[in-house]
Amino acid sequence: MRAWLISFVIVLLFTACGGAKPTPTVAPAPTSTAATPSEKARVIVAMGDSLTEGLGVDMDQAYPAQLERKLQADGHNFSVVNAGFSGETSAGALQRVNFVLKLKPEIVILGTGGNDSLRGIDPALTQKNITKLVRAFKAKNVVVVLAGMQTVQNMGADYAQKFQAIYPAVAKAEDVILIPFFLEGVADNPQLMQDDYIHPKPAGYAIVVKTIYPYVLQAIKALPGR
Amino acid sequence: MTTIHRGFVIRQLTTSRKQSIVFVLCVALALISLVALRGFGESVNRALLRDAKTLNAADIIVSSNFPVTQPVLTKIAQLQAVGAVASARTYQFLSVARVANGEDTELCDLKVVDAGYPFYGQVTLASGRPFHTVLTPGNIIVAQALLERLKLKLGDQLRIGEATLTIRDVVLQEPDRPVNLFGFGLRVFINSADLDALKLIKPGSRISYRVLLKVNNENKLNPLAAQIKTVLAPQENVETYLTARSGVERFFSNFLFFLNLVGIFTLLLAGIGIQSALTAFLRERNTTIAVIKTLGAKNKFVTLNFLAVVAILGGIGALLGISGGLLLQNVFPVLLRGLLPPDVQLTISGRSLIESLLLGLVVVGSFTFLPIYQLEELKPSFIFRKETTRLRHGLPFYLILLLILSFFIGMVLWQLRDQLRIGIYFVLGVIGLLAVATLLTYGTLFLLRRARIRSLALRQALRGLFRPRNATPAIIITFSAALAVIFCIYLLERNLDQAFVESYPPDAPNLFFIDIQANQLADFAKLLPVKTQYFPVVRASITAVNGAPIDRAVEEQRRGDNLARQFNLTYRDQLAEGEVIKAGGTLFQANWQGDNVQVSIADDLLEARNFQVGDQISFRIEGVPMEATITSIRSRPKESMQPFFQFVFPSEVLKDAPQSIFMALHLPPEQIHALQNKVVAAFPNISVIDATQAIANLATVANRLAQVIRFFTLFSVLAGVLIVISSVFATRMARIQEAAYYKVLGATSRFVLTVFTTENLLLGLVSALLALCMAQTGAWILCQGFFKIAYHPAVGASLLMLALTILLVTGVGMAASLSILRSKPITYLREQASEE
Repeated sequence: MRAWLISFVIVLLFTACGGAKPTPTVAPAPTSTAATPSEKARVIVAMGDSLTEGLGVDMDQAYPAQLERKLQADGHNFSVVNAGFSGETSAGALQRVNFVLKLKPEIVILGTGGNDSLRGIDPALTQKNITKLVRAFKAKNVVVVLAGMQTVQNMGADYAQKFQAIYPAVAKAEDVILIPFFLEGVADNPQLMQDDYIHPKPAGYAIVVKTIYPYVLQAIKALPGR
Repeated sequence: MTTIHRGFVIRQLTTSRKQSIVFVLCVALALISLVALRGFGESVNRALLRDAKTLNAADIIVSSNFPVTQPVLTKIAQLQAVGAVASARTYQFLSVARVANGEDTELCDLKVVDAGYPFYGQVTLASGRPFHTVLTPGNIIVAQALLERLKLKLGDQLRIGEATLTIRDVVLQEPDRPVNLFGFGLRVFINSADLDALKLIKPGSRISYRVLLKVNNENKLNPLAAQIKTVLAPQENVETYLTARSGVERFFSNFLFFLNLVGIFTLLLAGIGIQSALTAFLRERNTTIAVIKTLGAKNKFVTLNFLAVVAILGGIGALLGISGGLLLQNVFPVLLRGLLPPDVQLTISGRSLIESLLLGLVVVGSFTFLPIYQLEELKPSFIFRKETTRLRHGLPFYLILLLILSFFIGMVLWQLRDQLRIGIYFVLGVIGLLAVATLLTYGTLFLLRRARIRSLALRQALRGLFRPRNATPAIIITFSAALAVIFCIYLLERNLDQAFVESYPPDAPNLFFIDIQANQLADFAKLLPVKTQYFPVVRASITAVNGAPIDRAVEEQRRGDNLARQFNLTYRDQLAEGEVIKAGGTLFQANWQGDNVQVSIADDLLEARNFQVGDQISFRIEGVPMEATITSIRSRPKESMQPFFQFVFPSEVLKDAPQSIFMALHLPPEQIHALQNKVVAAFPNISVIDATQAIANLATVANRLAQVIRFFTLFSVLAGVLIVISSVFATRMARIQEAAYYKVLGATSRFVLTVFTTENLLLGLVSALLALCMAQTGAWILCQGFFKIAYHPAVGASLLMLALTILLVTGVGMAASLSILRSKPITYLREQASEE
């Protein structure tokens, strides 16, 4: 029976590769809608993994969409493009940085590294990748807001400490705005998290937006010409 | 005179032996097929259930990603206190482990277990020792790869969380590990007594919590699960090994379901055989019955005594059938080798046996009732008239017919109670089939009747078909309907087989490489011994269609493909091999002026949405929004194994997008391992998938399944043969009469033989041709509409089936007519004279 199962899985897997049918994952997130027709909205790109993309929630409930609505409501004419990709590690993000730059963002909210920690990847490697990412954006005069991540506590205290130290270190060295912890007040609350205990529910994303909002305003203030 | 007369019954049994034998065989066949199918289904089911228990290591599983809540724990403690269940908790999570006196670390997949784990199946260790004697507090059991990667040996220590634990053994296999090819982390088993010392379960930890339960009384499984369900928190989940069934099991239940349909059909055919054999048997008794009625026998006496005869014959048939079915249980292991788990015991339970017997008797009873009932309508005057007046069919006749019909419909629906819709389709299908067969038969006979034929023998043969009291239409209808189904199953099987062979030709790709990076391509290609095609893969999702956002909840409820998933795109400027354009003319338009980019979609996406050329799709390609317009719709042969992409973009649009490369090639199996090692060494990021074994397994399984189907179809073929034989017997008297008249009129034996042979030939030809027409149409519809594979009419095989059927009908007819030919006409005429 086991052999049977395995062969089935392999067949599924390889039709998945061949037939281009990966495991169904994620609802796509929203694109922007400009608030006032007279003035073209300026672009914020939210780049990251499933936490950005909004795995398991509707496209307009992921944090980029909620953030855009809040900014527009407060009179900031910015569109927030969801450039999140589920399952992506910091190495993957590095591969598509030039493609994302085609969106001509003025601000990038960078939230990556979570999947690195779930795979036990050496924090030193993650730190190197995030540094390269930040520099690539800065080279194009994009204001970077770095979202701090924490790893799950079961990885062990050593690993968790090393991992959490990445974000303040990069922010300090590269002089970019740091959100201390992206999932502050969300990650440890079962009511705000989906049953997988990794991804927030829409209500969780509302708190995420509340957490990151001051830092986004800080980035807007830092834009040239303001 | 309402008692059973022993002498009378014995006399009836000892004369007309041939008809009795056909009757007994029909009954036996019905029961063999019932017993065999039930035994088979029961065995498969039992094996799957046991497998399901092992795969879950328990009867009931409570799972959560948050600590199990107190009400659930209290409830389980209560159940345990009264002895209803035994329980064991497991905690599974990832953690980075470190060598106790060193710096090397490795990601581990920890499984912390209570003493009871696993309730079913076994954790196999390299040392062969029992799992629970090794996994004592302070000791751990690890995967071999962990020892290799950290350069450790048994007895060394590992730092996990805040605890230092000693490696005591290597795990080879665990019962409930899901096949997870993407699993990260190497397995480490830890005794739950060490859980607190790890200090890894704290706020912000992600732990998979489980409580495994073993029930002490199997019958209480569902009530117990329901009891636990009442105290569950929303994030908690309870499953039994029955509800957590796998895809393989669903597959088997579909397969058994199909076999059951074949079984029901066999039963129906056997029933028809029973009826016509009995009718033939009783027809030869008509004179006797008329005589005893003249002598004052009551209808009740006649019915009762013939019922006794039928009961004895039926009993013999049932006995034969049951023993045959039991014998067959021993054939299954040979037939099914490699298909079922190796340790399946193919036995049938007494309960199943009794159920089969009862069901079989109901079938025999309902199909014998009509002929027996009609005995009552036989008037004593029969002895004076050579031609029977047509038996009038009163209300009771139709009531009984209705009863038989509703019995069968009921049985089909009961068999398919889980899939009522399919059951209704099946019943409608059988009715439709019989209706079509009836229409076609009467149409053909009408045409034949009007045919002007010069050859005397042929003309006489044709007239023979319309002989008074001849059941020609009935025979052709049942026979062509039966044959149509048998042919159709055969055609379907051939087509599925063909589709399979076409999908996996000897040079089909068996080796797949994924995640090749663009800058690795040139170096990677040098490693490969053959030139091969490669496919760039770009990941994307769809955000809107024609401006309407994708509704995740709606999409994921679709049965087929859905638009809320991630897609792998590719780019190229030509059609791939075998592809055709269904709409749009060309893949892309040469001088495209639109603001959007062009995209070509595959026609299988039309199942998810009714896309048309000109529709707008909003993509998010590697996180970047892109608006596209459909400019063509492509199609490919459904059974093709070539890599296929739902969305194809022009090269200029995507060639700069982040991408990985996918490659497929065919290599002789003996070369695969060497290449695999080279690739892993040179390009650690590239994943290699070797599908050789999987394809071979699939081929074996497909062959086995075909064999099982063929085996059970054989029963319907046998039932068909019995119907032919009994229908020949049914018309035996009329033939004897005809043969005598032909001879009296000066015909030679040869002429009579020609007439009879031609008549049988016509019967066989008409039935087989009608059956083939229906089977081809049916198989074509099923292949196109249901299996979605190309249809091959299998002309050679069809002609062969035609020839075999005609040979069979003629052969059986001839064998039954030989004694008629040999008899002298005077014998018949003298009998007639002496009776008058």
